[in-house]
Amino acid sequence: MARKHARKGDEAAIDMTPMLDIVFIMLIFFIVTTSFVKEAGLEVRRPAAETATPQVRGNVMIAVSETGDVWMSKRKVEVDQVRILVQQAKAENPEGSVVIIADERAPTGVVVRVMDEARLGGTEQVAVAAREGSGS
Amino acid sequence: MRRKHKHEAEEAGIDMTPMLDIVFIMLIFFIVTTSFVKEIGIEMNRPTDAPPQTKQESEVILIEIQETGQIRMGGRTVDVRAVQANVERARAEKPDSTVVVAAHGGANAGILVQVVDQARLAGATNVSVASSVE
Repeated sequence: MARKHARKGDEAAIDMTPMLDIVFIMLIFFIVTTSFVKEAGLEVRRPAAETATPQVRGNVMIAVSETGDVWMSKRKVEVDQVRILVQQAKAENPEGSVVIIADERAPTGVVVRVMDEARLGGTEQVAVAAREGSGS
Repeated sequence: MRRKHKHEAEEAGIDMTPMLDIVFIMLIFFIVTTSFVKEIGIEMNRPTDAPPQTKQESEVILIEIQETGQIRMGGRTVDVRAVQANVERARAEKPDSTVVVAAHGGANAGILVQVVDQARLAGATNVSVASSVE
């Protein structure tokens, strides 16, 4: 009887408050920092640029491959579809902007058309992804 | 004495287990879905369809990129590394001018990015990109 009582007392004595505090702080941190980036689903060789700046709000990725294929949301899409997909993404996250990830050897015509479609879809700011370093 | 005992029992009786389960599941979900990857890139503009009437042709610094990757400025072929110096000189003559990069549709995007980068290095904040039809 005495032993049972002691165990009960032990169990109740575990103080979870500090752990809970930390868990809640972590939870709030992750909720605040999470941004649901729409990955393009294609890895390309980015062109080098010295003036490249981090695109903080960029959450819609559109990739243009070497052959001129356009990839968005992990599947290949037609250039004409980009506008509707960007509109949908804007409806989900109005603050987001578009980042075009173009391969070094991608044709400029396709990149500029994607840029136009993204602007028609409602984004003011379109950026082209690059890696840091001098290109020449 | 009896009252105090009852009070203690009530406090210990708050069961936080379901709330904790949910909090942990949310925590794991957000940890897994968070991605801290930020793309770096350069911002590009497109020239507007209707240019203002006051804009003179001479206020535009035009850089042409041909299909072969050759860069032409003011009727001369220039190297990629010389674009910065050329844009700087043109901007010294016409400080309010905007830079427009006109690329052939078949030219590589890498060259376009390099040229825009060079123009930005020369101090041009607003670089527009145009492309001819393939």
